[in-house]
Amino acid sequence: MLDNIIDIITDISGADEGEIEAGTELFDEGILDSFGVVQLFVQLESYGVKLDVAEFDREQISTPAKIAALCE
Amino acid sequence: MFLLEKLEQYAGTDRIALLYQGQSVSYRTLFRQAEAFAAYLLDRFGDDDAPVLIYGHKELVIPACMFGAIKAGHSYIPVDTTFPPERVAQILEQAVPCLTVNLTERELPAQQAIDEAALADILAKYDGKFDCVDRIADQHTVYTLFTSGTTGKPKGVQITAKNIAAFIDGVAPWFDCGLTEGVFLNEISYSFDVSVCALYYALSRGMTLYTIDKQTLNDPKALFTALRESKIDFWVSTPSLAEFCVRSEQFCEALLPNTKKFVFCGEVLTKKLASEMLTRFPHAEILNAYGPTEATVLVTAVTVDEALCSDSRSIPIGYPFANLRAVIAAPDGTELPDGQEGELLLLGDCVSPGYLHRADLNERAFFTDAKTGMRGYHTGDLCKIENGLIYYLGRMDGQVKLNGFRVELEDVESNLLRVENIARAAVVPVFEDGKTVSLTAFVCLQSPDGLSSLARAKKVKTALSAALPSYMIPRKIVAMDDFPVNTNGKVDKKALSALA
Repeated sequence: MLDNIIDIITDISGADEGEIEAGTELFDEGILDSFGVVQLFVQLESYGVKLDVAEFDREQISTPAKIAALCE
Repeated sequence: MFLLEKLEQYAGTDRIALLYQGQSVSYRTLFRQAEAFAAYLLDRFGDDDAPVLIYGHKELVIPACMFGAIKAGHSYIPVDTTFPPERVAQILEQAVPCLTVNLTERELPAQQAIDEAALADILAKYDGKFDCVDRIADQHTVYTLFTSGTTGKPKGVQITAKNIAAFIDGVAPWFDCGLTEGVFLNEISYSFDVSVCALYYALSRGMTLYTIDKQTLNDPKALFTALRESKIDFWVSTPSLAEFCVRSEQFCEALLPNTKKFVFCGEVLTKKLASEMLTRFPHAEILNAYGPTEATVLVTAVTVDEALCSDSRSIPIGYPFANLRAVIAAPDGTELPDGQEGELLLLGDCVSPGYLHRADLNERAFFTDAKTGMRGYHTGDLCKIENGLIYYLGRMDGQVKLNGFRVELEDVESNLLRVENIARAAVVPVFEDGKTVSLTAFVCLQSPDGLSSLARAKKVKTALSAALPSYMIPRKIVAMDDFPVNTNGKVDKKALSALA
């Protein structure tokens, strides 16, 4: 799942392949904003993962690794 | 002015005007503070009626400053903290306010400025000192809102007391849901004219504004906690906020059991979101509404139902309000019959006198109808009318609506060209379901920078954020050796869009 999340974020942010890593801080680095989070959650649904935005604060979804852990 | 009279009326009651982060402001306090601020302005500036600029976000004292300014015969210019100081400086230069109320920690090149502490002292010192009649007249400018301009500098739309009265008259039958009090969602930035729904419609009805700030909007968990405790009766927002909320199953009638009406405006309402809202809030009315800042907030509306959602066309922007005329015109200005596509022109008392100090733009954008003498505005929106309903088909220029904010792509492009090492820039919107979701900037560098895409994007975004409001900053920055060109030799934006 982690790889899928990294792929989606790479696409949303226009990063180079390999630039987004498991521990990349998505908000601090200006890679995602709340609308980017919505796009990410929508795209995750195509992998059968449904996350409820109301359940998380920013800290809980601040890196790809943390998001992957929530998908487990 | 009607609002000031209403505020005075409610000041004698125990009603609450504003709620924010557990704090409240009663109508009594709001009115007293507005009068105190007006008394200070009259004492300090006398007959000088230059505008008052208010730089802040959702601070509880802002409405008192706005209404105090108009009581004393000044207009106000609300500037949200999404605007960086450099952009505020451009506004200061154009508007030359007599006073700047700076509620932020940021430095501004303002001649006469007061901070939060000085404002509190003024409100205490002048409490109960207002002893004149309100100085605002129909033709007076009440507020000037600065929006994105194609030259890379913002332009100020002036709105008069007469314009606001026309808006309130026009919107009244659409907004009516039998409420004489209740809670009204106040999440829209005061720099964006949809906030006028809360400030002028809701407060003139003695409602309570439940304020949600930027920080809460950015924190989903906090946003839902706030919504749960809000007991909102009336919701006005961009579709983007609802788009975000429906990502949670919790966003339904159980979360907002009191909400009688949802009004969406500021950008395209997709059929997907509209039908989702109908399912989740079966007892509420869902309105789609539309209006440019130049014609005062909203000019059309329609109640969204299943039939509109299952129609092959997009959701219409609505029927024109009863007190204005909406016309579809050919490029030569002649009125087109129903069903034909053309530019939407608006005529009525809602139309602004024009942009501040921009005679060049006013001549192109505004007109006075020779037959009726009505003030008119060229919206630049490509529309058609069918059975009285107006359908929005797109823009006739490079303007986009992003999360409700109006962005001139040329504004972003000219600011990109001021960033170090950028030789050329082209900005395109990224669409999803027919709605703009983000911007992508394509740039040609003056010389190779050896940076990765992400590192370059961060550098460019940091530079841009000193010059532009945060909502105008492209999400993706893509470096290219050269731009594709079309048969006319111009940058091929269609080809770039495919890469965005």
